[in-house]
Amino acid sequence: MQKVLTKKSLPQWVKKLLSYTIYTPVEEDDHWNFVATDNPEDINLDYPLTTLSPKKIIFPQREIFLEFCDSTEGNPEVKEVLPAEKSAVIFGVRPCDAKALTFTDKVFGGDFKDIYYWKRRNQTTLVGISCNTPPYTNCFCVSVNGSPYSKEGLDILLTDLGDKYFVETYTKKGEKLLNLAKGLFKSPTAKDKKDLEKIRIDSKKKIKRQIKNIKKIPPKLKEMFDSPFWDEESMSCLRCGICTYLCPTCHCFDINDEITSSSPIKGKRIRTWDTCQFPDFTMHSSGHNPRPDKASRLRQRILHKFLYFVDRYQNYQCTGCGRCISLCPVGIDLLEVLDKVRDYGS
Amino acid sequence: MNGENKQLTKTNPFMPETARIVRTYHLTEDVKFFQVRIVEMDKALSFKYRPGQFAMISVLGAGEAPFSISSTPSRPGLLEFCIRKAGTVTNALFRMKENDLVGFRGPYGNGFPLEKMKDKDILITVGGLGVAPLRSVLLYCLDNRDQFRRVSLLHGAKRPAEMIFREEFFALKQREDLECHLAVDEDDTGTWTENIGVVTTLFLKLKEIDIANTFALICGPPVMYKFVIKELVKLNIPKDQILMTLERRMKCGVGKCGHCAIDYVYTCLDGPVFTYWDVIHMRELI
Repeated sequence: MQKVLTKKSLPQWVKKLLSYTIYTPVEEDDHWNFVATDNPEDINLDYPLTTLSPKKIIFPQREIFLEFCDSTEGNPEVKEVLPAEKSAVIFGVRPCDAKALTFTDKVFGGDFKDIYYWKRRNQTTLVGISCNTPPYTNCFCVSVNGSPYSKEGLDILLTDLGDKYFVETYTKKGEKLLNLAKGLFKSPTAKDKKDLEKIRIDSKKKIKRQIKNIKKIPPKLKEMFDSPFWDEESMSCLRCGICTYLCPTCHCFDINDEITSSSPIKGKRIRTWDTCQFPDFTMHSSGHNPRPDKASRLRQRILHKFLYFVDRYQNYQCTGCGRCISLCPVGIDLLEVLDKVRDYGS
Repeated sequence: MNGENKQLTKTNPFMPETARIVRTYHLTEDVKFFQVRIVEMDKALSFKYRPGQFAMISVLGAGEAPFSISSTPSRPGLLEFCIRKAGTVTNALFRMKENDLVGFRGPYGNGFPLEKMKDKDILITVGGLGVAPLRSVLLYCLDNRDQFRRVSLLHGAKRPAEMIFREEFFALKQREDLECHLAVDEDDTGTWTENIGVVTTLFLKLKEIDIANTFALICGPPVMYKFVIKELVKLNIPKDQILMTLERRMKCGVGKCGHCAIDYVYTCLDGPVFTYWDVIHMRELI
């Protein structure tokens, strides 16, 4: 469905959606992040890029799997804690971040469906905003088969046409949101469509950073497994894990028990994000570590994204958001690393 | 993966079943044997798995960890594990007594390709705690002895006191339908009657091997694999008939948490049983 919505009608639309939990980008302490609001005036679609992608809403950094109480008498009680039944709408999702969820969908799907992930995923409607100008200095979505107006993973995509938004819906979930405020949406004119077309062509041209000849990279990575290259490139790494924690496609996690009382034993089994960049990520309880140094861990991150994930799921596990580049404290630049990989030895 | 995997899979793959420790005792100073039974009787009896699969066992408050199943599906009802005291979960397990309850979910992983191994010679090489998953397949072969041809076991440990299931294997040595060779790296007792030397020295004890019809199964500490594989390659056993089961840190067991990812596979879904062919084509496996 294609529609247009005037900018001043946006809060009126949101007002009709208040039975949902509404998330919007909000600036807090120099960082933009998705925050829940019940004030329709808070919706802000003119923002750079959130530090954490909306992945954190579908797959929170910390969540409770189950609660338990093990008293000495009788059998222990173990209670499954599922996400609350509450539909949500996330406004202002960047196309790269929505596409990232189509990758985590693959991981959390399969034979063993991750009920926690899917519960949130299915009850969340994603309203995207096209990137008419790159929201970030290190954007490179076009290089990884993405685009500033990609619809992958989105239910609705808005494109800023100046005083109005061009509105496209791709799913039933998306159409439902428009149907809740029917009168506000008008059919686009021929001029609206023409404007949209022009903005789209320009938006792609404005993306400055890129990976040239990306197709050459996976086979090259395969050859470079034992190369000293990884030692050189990982030299400055502080193993802080920022590159993976902020990545919208990374999905690794840890499961641990936390106790609040030891007699009787009361506590929770929780899931928290984890990262392949930490030394203990692969450490066996015997002390043996198959990935013992920074070089092997950087290699794992790059090869997982640009070789292994491609082999398993036929996509680069990267959407070109640029967070790992902009926020790395020591300036390890993924695109520079990949450029060197492509040209290595030639 | 195989259909058997799904039988205990509920809508929530992270929700454990309750299982009771029905028997536990020390096998060595730091390895204990655990016999557990899923509390719900019908589930305990209908629980299906393959030798080589593993399960997640949890202790409330301490957490979960993956363990190879050491029992054989040919003896249904009870599940057996041999567990070394090494981390938080195993320390908690060591404090547990018979009749205590644990969390249990599984079975996970691919297990051994029993269909392919049928009517073949089975040569099992284990070192140390590597006996945990391979005892399952060994007992399975012995319980279904007519389905396999020659069955041999090479078992190595550091010292006599550290040989896991020592009495069980000494008893098995008496069987005429099993070729069983035991070795210790060093004998500090002076009473060891079997071989002394690393496990690879036991290959000399084997009678002639029908290489095309032999499946060689390996499990042991990380350092053992390349030495044993070297022997098996020397014998010309086909690369896809050299099977090994691997250890990796795991948190979910169901291919999501990423800890056991190697190349494009997950040890928990696509392993833990891999072939030497896989090892050649996927870096980091061993």
